[in-house]
Amino acid sequence: MKKILALALAAAMSLSLAACGGNGGTSNPGSAAGSPSSASQPDADVSTPVDGKSDFKVGAVYITSQNDTAGYTFQHHNGITTAMKALGLDPADLIVVDNVPDNDDTAVATAIDTVVNQGADIVFGISFGYINSMNDKAADYPDVIFSHGTGYMANDTNFNNYFGRIYQARYLAGIAAGMKSVELGNNSIGYVAAYNRQYAETCSGINAFALGAQSVNPDAVVHVNVIDTWGDEAKEKQAAQALVDAYNCCVISQHCDSAQPQLVAAQNNVFGCGYNSDMTEQAPAAHLTSAIWHWNVYYETAIKAAMDCNGDASKFVENMGGNAYYAGLAEGFVDASPLNEAVAAPNTKAVMDAVRELMVSGEWDVFSGVKLSYNISEDGKVEIVRTDAPLMSDGKQLVDGQLVDMAPEIVPAGGPSVDDGVIKGGMNYNVAGVVEG
Amino acid sequence: MKKRQPLFHVVKRESGSPGRQLLAYVAAVALALTVGAVLLWVQGVEPLTFYRQMLTMGIPGSRYPWRAVENFIKLFVPLLIVSLALALAFKMRFWNIGGEGQFIMGAFWAGVAAMNLGESLPRPAMVLVMAVAGALGGGVYGLFAAALKVRFGTNETLLTLMLNYIALYFLQFFAETKAGWNFFLDPESARPKFAKFPASAQMITIPIGPFNLNLSLVIALALCALIFIYLNYTKRGYEIAVVGDSPNTARYAGMRVGRIVLRTIFLSAALIGVAGAFHVSSAGVMSASPTNSVGWTGIVVAWLAKLNTVGILVAAVLITVLQFGCQTASATYPAIDANFANLLQGVILFIVLAADFFTRFKLVRRGGKEAVK
Repeated sequence: MKKILALALAAAMSLSLAACGGNGGTSNPGSAAGSPSSASQPDADVSTPVDGKSDFKVGAVYITSQNDTAGYTFQHHNGITTAMKALGLDPADLIVVDNVPDNDDTAVATAIDTVVNQGADIVFGISFGYINSMNDKAADYPDVIFSHGTGYMANDTNFNNYFGRIYQARYLAGIAAGMKSVELGNNSIGYVAAYNRQYAETCSGINAFALGAQSVNPDAVVHVNVIDTWGDEAKEKQAAQALVDAYNCCVISQHCDSAQPQLVAAQNNVFGCGYNSDMTEQAPAAHLTSAIWHWNVYYETAIKAAMDCNGDASKFVENMGGNAYYAGLAEGFVDASPLNEAVAAPNTKAVMDAVRELMVSGEWDVFSGVKLSYNISEDGKVEIVRTDAPLMSDGKQLVDGQLVDMAPEIVPAGGPSVDDGVIKGGMNYNVAGVVEG
Repeated sequence: MKKRQPLFHVVKRESGSPGRQLLAYVAAVALALTVGAVLLWVQGVEPLTFYRQMLTMGIPGSRYPWRAVENFIKLFVPLLIVSLALALAFKMRFWNIGGEGQFIMGAFWAGVAAMNLGESLPRPAMVLVMAVAGALGGGVYGLFAAALKVRFGTNETLLTLMLNYIALYFLQFFAETKAGWNFFLDPESARPKFAKFPASAQMITIPIGPFNLNLSLVIALALCALIFIYLNYTKRGYEIAVVGDSPNTARYAGMRVGRIVLRTIFLSAALIGVAGAFHVSSAGVMSASPTNSVGWTGIVVAWLAKLNTVGILVAAVLITVLQFGCQTASATYPAIDANFANLLQGVILFIVLAADFFTRFKLVRRGGKEAVK
């Protein structure tokens, strides 16, 4: 018996050696001849300079898998590869470390080191929690460019941050929701939110959506149900159902990862506005429009600016025209996804298009002392009416985890828009007409 | 009617020779790599190139090779210390699977010390204070489970397992609660985010050219030697082995089993706490998930090495090469994500452990000659 086992082990070993040898034998001539299965990424690319800019290497650090088919990482990965193709780079050369937790700086720093060591000339970090490590590594590697999504740190040479005016897209979605609520004669609108006043990102989105809805239906109330996580399908589903059950909400909007709130809306024969991707596919009978990102717009701009540095990484911020990229509808970075006209109220598209045009022109923005309302003629022509009116909060703001009173007037009637810095990082109050719970 | 035996049953082998065991390990690794090669081949990745990058951890030809070595050490040191510490407990048949929790508690108390005393102490003193705080934090956390076992006979497996989650959420509470009293967080940031430790709380490094040798590596290797001596050449180390083999024998021999258990588990958990303290000190900042799963991987390392101190050193190096190498190698392949790299690691570990099983046991067919021995 022992002999048989020893024989089997020996056989297994020689077999495995033979298999390894076989692979080597076939692959060497294969790659030399440009075999389709393996020729694209030999490690030789670190040392073989190709003429021109095609040896420029893009790197990225992701929070979940690069092979995801939906969600946050997917959107960014899709944006980066689309941008690379547009610039004549091969997406197969993208250097990625993925599944990097955003609450462990050592793991993030190690991942960045790996991406840089493999030859990346620009490193994108997509999660807020990468902020410390991105900042440190930008100082460590002055010859590499660093670009951090959703963060606020930057320097004057090789490190910037990027985010978008998604609140403009939320305002457009709010219009669609408001039109629907008028059509249904129901002022109650729901919003499943990861967080509310804790993050300016979520808070500004809720406020913009509410203002959009109120521009159509001044009596609209937005009920916010907070789930305390960026993504949890079960919680998203429960929260959406609770909004329908408790407040009889007729439209469910969302700031969370999955399409669950839209599915719940469809099951309850109500309507919804999604986020991140066009969710009409998931809920064709309920979904109106989503606030979506076109990340490739930023990535193309950034990679191009980085390539134009011609090896001098310190010129990156100058090439980008600043160290905090903050673009919106005008640049095509954010938008409302194509309206599901089979479900939306009549004339919704015309109103959204008119307001989109107004925001693209830069004449008006969401958090200002000017309110919009609309005159819609018989033939569907939309006239936007601008009225000076103060931007009012509900009188509460969140400071160090405590809700405290604040002066309700945020912007006086006719006043200019709230500062970008506040929209990105400081907004900690809800506008009037938003109710948490 | 005669009772039928199952078709196969497991029989323990007579003690195999070390050479044969080594052969089995080598064969297992070769087999595992072959299975991995097939998986890689299916994904359109050339296995030999991938393996070369994996085993060299992408260091040759990289821009900053010393950085890769520094990162390797940062992964290796916690795993080595935790595996050594767990082996202490396992040798006594105390199933400490609370490495994660003890590590977190060590990191937490080291962080408390760093944030509150960092400004006032010089660096060597501060690093020492953090190590002591980590040792006490981890040690007391482990001692709690040991005391309940000694006093009330509770199940230490369940208890240490549950304490892991308590520690994890305890730390996350501090990571996510933005409030005036929370000294861990950066007051400048609107979102909750850990503040960096003061400069004196950062682990001491010894510069060798561009490379910075992390002092914790030297300490970990010294601990390795000390534990080897402790287990093999001291009375207390011998007591651990006796209690592990048979608590009753130990009792008849006049050993105070309860005290030995408490002492050993405190030592084991304190070492894990020190690993946590070194980790946050090397990072220079707290982390809400600092462990990199060493509390679990350490169990695998300890058993792969059969609780042998030298074996643990070797196994910890190999597992870290596997982990870090997989990450580096997969970075350049779009088809290979971290999930696949984890799968590959899992396949390799599984086959090696299976080989370990088959060197100690064998399957005997019903009616086979050896079954009626």
